Amino acid sequence: MISTVARKEMKEMIRDGRFRWAGGIVLALLAGSLAMGWQHYREVNAQHELARRATREQWLHQGVKNPHSAAHYGVYAFKPKMPLSLVDQGVDPWVGVTAFLEAHKQNEFKYRPAQDSTAIQRFGELTGAAVLQLLIPLVIILLAFPAFAEERERGTLRQVLSLGVKPSQLGWGKALGIGWGVGLLVLPATLLGTLALALSAENGAFQSSLPRMAVMFVSYLLYFTAILAISLAVSARARSSRLALVGLIGFWIFNGLIAPRLAADLAKTVYRTPSAFEFARNIEMGLKNGVDGHDPADRRAEELRDAVLKKYNVTKVSDLPVAFQGISLQAGEEHGNQVFDHYYSQLWDTFRQQERVHQIASLAAPMLAVRSLSMALAGTDFAQHAHFARASEEYRRVIQRVMNTDIANNGKVADGPYLRDADLWKQVPDFDYRAPDLAWVLSRQSLSLALLTAWAAGSILLAWRATQRLRVD
Amino acid sequence: MLTQIVKHEWRNLRADRTLWAVAALLAVTIGFGIRNGSEWVRFQNDTLKAVAAEERERLAAVNSGIIDAQAGRTKPTSFTDPRSPSVVGRTLGARYASMPPAPLAALAIGQSDLYPYYFKVSTSTRQTFLNNDEIEHPVHLMSGRFDLAFVILYLYPLIILALSYNLLSAEKEAGTLAMTLSQPVGLPKLVLGKIALRFVFILLPGGVLSLAGAIGGGTNIAADGGGSRLLLWFGVVALYGAFWYALAAAVNAFGRGSSSNAIALAAFWLAFVLVIPSLLNVGVKYVHPVPSRVELIQAMREASREAAAQGSRLLASYYEDHPELAGDRTDAADFAALALANQEQVEKRIRPVLDRFDQQLDLQQRLVDRYRFLSPAVVAQAALFDIAGTSEHRYKHFLGLADRFHRDWRAHFYRQIVRNASLAPQDVDRFPEFHFEEEPWRAVAGRSEVGLVVLLFAVMVVGAVAAWLLRRYPVAA
Repeated sequence: MISTVARKEMKEMIRDGRFRWAGGIVLALLAGSLAMGWQHYREVNAQHELARRATREQWLHQGVKNPHSAAHYGVYAFKPKMPLSLVDQGVDPWVGVTAFLEAHKQNEFKYRPAQDSTAIQRFGELTGAAVLQLLIPLVIILLAFPAFAEERERGTLRQVLSLGVKPSQLGWGKALGIGWGVGLLVLPATLLGTLALALSAENGAFQSSLPRMAVMFVSYLLYFTAILAISLAVSARARSSRLALVGLIGFWIFNGLIAPRLAADLAKTVYRTPSAFEFARNIEMGLKNGVDGHDPADRRAEELRDAVLKKYNVTKVSDLPVAFQGISLQAGEEHGNQVFDHYYSQLWDTFRQQERVHQIASLAAPMLAVRSLSMALAGTDFAQHAHFARASEEYRRVIQRVMNTDIANNGKVADGPYLRDADLWKQVPDFDYRAPDLAWVLSRQSLSLALLTAWAAGSILLAWRATQRLRVD
Repeated sequence: MLTQIVKHEWRNLRADRTLWAVAALLAVTIGFGIRNGSEWVRFQNDTLKAVAAEERERLAAVNSGIIDAQAGRTKPTSFTDPRSPSVVGRTLGARYASMPPAPLAALAIGQSDLYPYYFKVSTSTRQTFLNNDEIEHPVHLMSGRFDLAFVILYLYPLIILALSYNLLSAEKEAGTLAMTLSQPVGLPKLVLGKIALRFVFILLPGGVLSLAGAIGGGTNIAADGGGSRLLLWFGVVALYGAFWYALAAAVNAFGRGSSSNAIALAAFWLAFVLVIPSLLNVGVKYVHPVPSRVELIQAMREASREAAAQGSRLLASYYEDHPELAGDRTDAADFAALALANQEQVEKRIRPVLDRFDQQLDLQQRLVDRYRFLSPAVVAQAALFDIAGTSEHRYKHFLGLADRFHRDWRAHFYRQIVRNASLAPQDVDRFPEFHFEEEPWRAVAGRSEVGLVVLLFAVMVVGAVAAWLLRRYPVAA
């Protein structure tokens, strides 16, 4: 019985000009946005790979200089893109593309690509994620709102039910039929996207993104299920098909357009971030006087000198067997690291709390949950940006340690400046970034995943109950 | 007759709960939008106050530092000496160039959350102060904010469409249309009357609410240009609204049923507010791609390496990287002069690369300007941001002023560095100071007027189509 209903729905859909038009447009937009995402991914990745190699070359061939000079010369960090970023570019346009890793300072990531864009970017970018999160649900709503309501208005609902079809069978059949229509839009694009990935991704990037891809697929499936079930529920209970449509479009607008902005302003109000000025000043003060404000630089320097003199059992710095400058530079770094860790983890905690507000807000709008999951699985959410930022900061610290240790051990020269060459630069390993794995991502997205599942399950329950109490006229 | 239609329509609408629900929704969203905008303006003002205070304290410290050093109470090294113009110009005395929010900034956050609003200008390169981004969760930048501009661009058309999607179709379906038209009234006049009422009903309270909210939220209407900006703002809102009414009238005049009208209007809304802008964005990026900043970094590195190779000996470049290690071993002034020369060399070399970014972005903007008529939302957005002073135009204007200040600052200190001068306490008062001059009103008004004209044109075209269709309207089913 269910398959008969489904077949009828499919046939009707295919014959319906509206579906052909809306479907065609959405399909074109999805395919187009995925193709653009793919091109963008390849371009940016190639560029970053090139830049990464160039910055390494520059580091190795910076010539003869003092190790601390080399530390100031520094390197740049460029985040590699993950293959799935072709579906969802997430926050990538809104965070800086590179950080300068130099002595003494943890620098911010600079150059947000969005700054090199016109203001129409603020209307939203055309990405695979935008089509999947906004347009496909709209198509689902357009397909599903007349399911019961229109049959009721035409008087066919009473007839169908008089044949002994159970309302729940009717509901399942309609859901299957519409689901098939949506699949018709999404599956070809998914297959093409997977194929493009399989052909283009190098070094096993495709294989390693398969688990992420699978979870992403499931996430969107849950999302579409929720939208479809809600639409059917509304159609089953609404007084007229017009009211069903108006109500569902209202939900769609709230879900896709209002909720994200509402959540942003809510999160900002509940968890305030400091101004960049305040943040920089706190760090500056921390560097001067310690995180607690009771550890002035002069005293630290004095204590360090005394400790080192005591350790080597001498009374004058010039009598030390090591170069005190190297020890003092490294001590400065260690102190700085404490300060940076303190303030950055504070800031990133606030960011995480703000994200939590978004996740909780997805109780009211499932789009927030799927958006958060989608970005995370694509490797383009803030958590993974911060993961990279932390890794590059660790790398910066490695550079400082290698340079300063060398100065301390070998920097005591009779006259002139202490100079080194590529031999030392080579001792700093290449920056090899490993993106976090699926378990890492999911542990941070468990709330989103749970809420999205709850949305899907709750909506199905709602639809089932609505068909049980189907309004016949 | 028109007044009669309006009166009658008012009675009808008043009895309908939709109207009051819509009005309440409008009031809440306007209030929330203005609150968020005002918060952001307050945040910026507070930050600018803190910035100014920090500068005052620092300059006072330079002043007393000079006095102490002159009196021999302190013995600063040549690289921390407040009497050294190189040290003061580069770090100790650096001054801020800041752009206060414009009078109507609370109404549209616009691009102001993406671009810096103050720079710490010193004798160092432009690149050292340019990327002064405010801290913001990137998801918030991506989502956009719930401000009045959002309410106007997205929700206001929806409210208009909700009130007028069945302007004629409802009466036709109820059978009252033929009766009404048996009176001495033409169809166009009837539609005009219905629209006029809705137009005023939404615009007036909306306008008053916005005004009250804006003033309550700390907007200074009395400020220079505040009043004219507000007038322009309402002009844009009125014409943008008029466009959607005209569209609703045209769709109604097509003669389909209420449901079809609702779907058609929703499709138009989707196209104008979401799909066309994002396609336009893709298009302009494709036609005039902005190079990657990654290339800029490579160019900067290359240039500084060459400059260093040309400009100095090994020793000098070492101390240049780390002046405090040089102690008394070399002449600090020489380094300072050399460093300045190097910087200028680097800046000259990367200028073409930087210009390319500006050129491409300019070309993109021009393309957006040319094709904005494709979507009234794009026109209205540009105009609203511009009037609120949160567009990239005002930012660019500020950037120009900051650049000029940077040049003045450098010229001032460069002279003293080369002369190897020693600063006296009274010199601190003579440091160049940044004064923000508002962008010329003519420029803002000129750009927004173009937007107004485009919107007016769109209203007239769609209105004409509606009028033409109305003459063929099948009154009887």
